Amino acid sequence: MKLDEIVQALQLTALVPATVPSVEVSGGYASDLLSNAMGQAAPGQIWVTMQGHPNVAAVASLLNLAGVIIAGGASVAPETAQKAQANGVALFTTRLPAYEVCGRLYALGVGKP
Amino acid sequence: MKTLLADFHIHSLLSPCAEVEMTPHHLMLRAAAAGIGALALTDHNASANLPALIRLQEKYPVKVFPGMEVECKEEAHLVVLFDKMHQMAAWQQQVDKALSGRLNQPEKLGAQFVVDEKDNLVREEPRMLLGPLTLTAAEVVAAVNKLGGLCFAAHVDRPAYSLLMSLGFLPPELGLAAAEISRNSLAELQEQKLKARVGNLPYVTNSDAHWMQAFLDGPKNRITVRELTIKELRLALAGKEGRSWQAGVFIDN
Repeated sequence: MKLDEIVQALQLTALVPATVPSVEVSGGYASDLLSNAMGQAAPGQIWVTMQGHPNVAAVASLLNLAGVIIAGGASVAPETAQKAQANGVALFTTRLPAYEVCGRLYALGVGKP
Repeated sequence: MKTLLADFHIHSLLSPCAEVEMTPHHLMLRAAAAGIGALALTDHNASANLPALIRLQEKYPVKVFPGMEVECKEEAHLVVLFDKMHQMAAWQQQVDKALSGRLNQPEKLGAQFVVDEKDNLVREEPRMLLGPLTLTAAEVVAAVNKLGGLCFAAHVDRPAYSLLMSLGFLPPELGLAAAEISRNSLAELQEQKLKARVGNLPYVTNSDAHWMQAFLDGPKNRITVRELTIKELRLALAGKEGRSWQAGVFIDN
């Protein structure tokens, strides 16, 4: 599934970039421990987290993730969006709880074997 | 210059997870007997047992640093230290505004006792001290540094409540003075596998004691300083001007 289709389907708010690219999302990963995400998430995946720290953008950039969804209405530090912008990371927010975001992504076929 | 053993991460019976034997008087008595030259009391998001400990400095040759183990918004622990109680009082005011607003459940989480220097009960703390503040790590460190204090990331090697695990790496611009290695991972002091990810911060080791035997058995630091101040601790951490800081030291060596 493509990133812009996911954003449309889940009605995500795009913080960065304004126009969401139509890139293929290879799967998903969920974790609020950034050290864990660094070790487990794979390039091309979409990452669901409640962390809004600027390091989120750094980790996503490091791993070449398709994007990051900050779920549950969690607050996002202004530097996080700046860092995402600077590093070409697609960053989204939603009020949907993380559990529901993951469930909906899976139902859409993201990460299904 | 003087060289002494110091432990900068200790809980009293105000922390719900600590044993009631961790009273200020008991702590100072045992610290003095064991030859500890300086300690910091670091209860979770709280400082109400510090006045008793400060008063006990008149009776025991142990320097007390006002301290606190703060849980930041990222659900990680930071130890903060100050020189003076008025700095701690100013910090505690900020903490009080940033607590969850929940009440403690002593039966489930443990009781939170405030005592005087003779170990008499003063009151029970009703607020839930465990849990994250609404302040981010960056906000905590900035506020503490501004007040003239010092912050280190607690037990960065542990899977839970570690800023390193929460954030993946410690951003250098955060303003931390050190990273604490827990007693489970003392090999890290030599191996330095995490050193790059903590931004090459100096390592410190403390007991993080919640009961007396853990205080006596737990790791300490051997520090050489001119006097026991935050400014001197910073010099010791940097290894500058003849000051030094050796982590991974125990009472018996």
